[in-house]
Amino acid sequence: MDSAIQSGRIEVKGARLQFEQVDGTPFTAIDGVSLTIEPGEFVSIIGPSGCGKSTVLNVVAGFSKLDEGVVTLDGVAIEKPGSERGVVFQQYSLFPWMTVRKNVEFGLKMKRVSPSKCEMISRSLLGIAGLLAFENHYPDQLSGGMKQRVGIVRALATSPRVLLMDEPFGALDAQTRTVMQEVLTNMWQRLRTSVLFITHDIDEAIFLSDRVYVMTARPGKVKCVVPIDLPRPRTPEMTTSTEYIALVKQLRGLIRAESLQAMGGELSAGGLAGINTDIGPAGIEGLF
Amino acid sequence: MKADISAQTDDGQAFAGSAQAGAQPVASLHQLYPKQNPAATATATAIATAAAPAAPPTPIRFARPRWIRTLARRRVEGVLGLTSLLMMIVCWYLLTRFQVSLYVRFANIPSPGDVLSKFIEINHTTAYANNVLISLRRIMLGFGGAAISGIALGLLIGRYRYVRALLFPALEVLRPIPAIAWVPISVMLWPSNEVSIVFITFLGAFFPILLNTVGGVQAIDDVLIRAASTLGASERAMFRYVVLPGALPHIFSGLALGMGVAWVSLIAAEMISGQFGIGYATWEAYSLISYPEIVVGMVTIGILGWVCSGLIRLVGSISMPWLAFATRRGK
Repeated sequence: MDSAIQSGRIEVKGARLQFEQVDGTPFTAIDGVSLTIEPGEFVSIIGPSGCGKSTVLNVVAGFSKLDEGVVTLDGVAIEKPGSERGVVFQQYSLFPWMTVRKNVEFGLKMKRVSPSKCEMISRSLLGIAGLLAFENHYPDQLSGGMKQRVGIVRALATSPRVLLMDEPFGALDAQTRTVMQEVLTNMWQRLRTSVLFITHDIDEAIFLSDRVYVMTARPGKVKCVVPIDLPRPRTPEMTTSTEYIALVKQLRGLIRAESLQAMGGELSAGGLAGINTDIGPAGIEGLF
Repeated sequence: MKADISAQTDDGQAFAGSAQAGAQPVASLHQLYPKQNPAATATATAIATAAAPAAPPTPIRFARPRWIRTLARRRVEGVLGLTSLLMMIVCWYLLTRFQVSLYVRFANIPSPGDVLSKFIEINHTTAYANNVLISLRRIMLGFGGAAISGIALGLLIGRYRYVRALLFPALEVLRPIPAIAWVPISVMLWPSNEVSIVFITFLGAFFPILLNTVGGVQAIDDVLIRAASTLGASERAMFRYVVLPGALPHIFSGLALGMGVAWVSLIAAEMISGQFGIGYATWEAYSLISYPEIVVGMVTIGILGWVCSGLIRLVGSISMPWLAFATRRGK
């Protein structure tokens, strides 16, 4: 780890957040969540869908306010969204009316950085992401993978202390996704921004992270933290190493129980294995 | 053309890059995105060679360039458009030439020829040009006022809950009242007939523009608002760079609609209470039993309305260049 990095420490302590459901009853999205991201660290939160992992990110981003607990960036409480916390969204979030470069420069422009400096920063970052040839394209001219790359570059352009990523590769196909993961680790190793990464993909979490937080469902709580002690830089062939496979097994085991529970307990391990699900000799028609 | 290239370099080469990274232990970012590097292709695995579309260009890339295709498509559309106008005129000609009388009676309806000669005749007088110019001025003032106030109010109502709660109920009660129903009150309200006609025109255009602007602001994807706020946008910047451009496509639909209703309202107002103007001239022709002149007036209104809507579409496509790349709807 680079000792030069001192800022970008996120701390969430005893976070609790309730929503009101459509029928008026309160729903506890997260309860007693505590986690830290050290400066320059890449941390993932993994868990079944609906476990509140995106809620944690929204709180750190400043989109949602906690009912209980505190969330701080370098010791300062987070109140609202700000450019020191860059966000990459799950959906494509580029401004369709701006070219790729204008999108990247938007945050800098808001900071009143001079146009020539804006151009220098945006062009060098686009170069790192392999997008310089497309600087004058509109987002609608790009593929999904490129749009997300621009989204990452845009979030990094204001040199935020943390990068918050909410399942950024969820909408991409498997091949593009693996390439994007490599692009991201490469960019992260150069820039060493702290990253909070939300995903439900176990391989993705292991491949990218220094530590993985596993969350439980309803209400969302931190179940455990798994350190990923794989060497860096991470490469695709590591995914066949014994350490990697052991980590996958460990995390899969942790998450499987949660996923079953998150699906309302309707599925039991026995039921999935075909036990106690005998539908009789008449087959499906016999049920009607 | 540009879109074709982008698809190629992104997914095609990106995939080749990842396979190559698999063959060599350390993958730098530049290696991930090789620019037509023959060595990279050579070292890539068999899978990559099979999957990478780098070497043989697909036949589509040798198809005619886009602008030629666009032109070809436009030419077909142009011919079809002329055909549609010609069909209308031919039908009109036949119906009046044979004075068809099957419940609908075409006996007194002037033929295209009558109308054309009348048009040439009155084109020599200043009255016709004068009426057209007066109507156009009323449209410019009424529609212009509606555009400015409708867009401004629409943006505020769309963005701020409290402004909406304060203004929207009153506007929703006023909205169903047709502009024509305002004529008597308008005449009493405004100092001159001229202003009152402009006001009627304004009312006709105002509501479509307002409602579409409100709808446009509300249709902006919330993720864009969030993205702008995480990038440090102030409320003012949010308006200038996100809310306004985001609502622009809807605003232009509102303007096109509003322009149509503005003409409807203007002509009706001119017919009821006007002096001068193309609507007034058309009604006067009816009173004077000058039938061809009625149709000259109608055709003039049609063409003026069409030109005005065309201008709005033109301004729209110039001010929203990004829409050229958005997914096209329809076959």
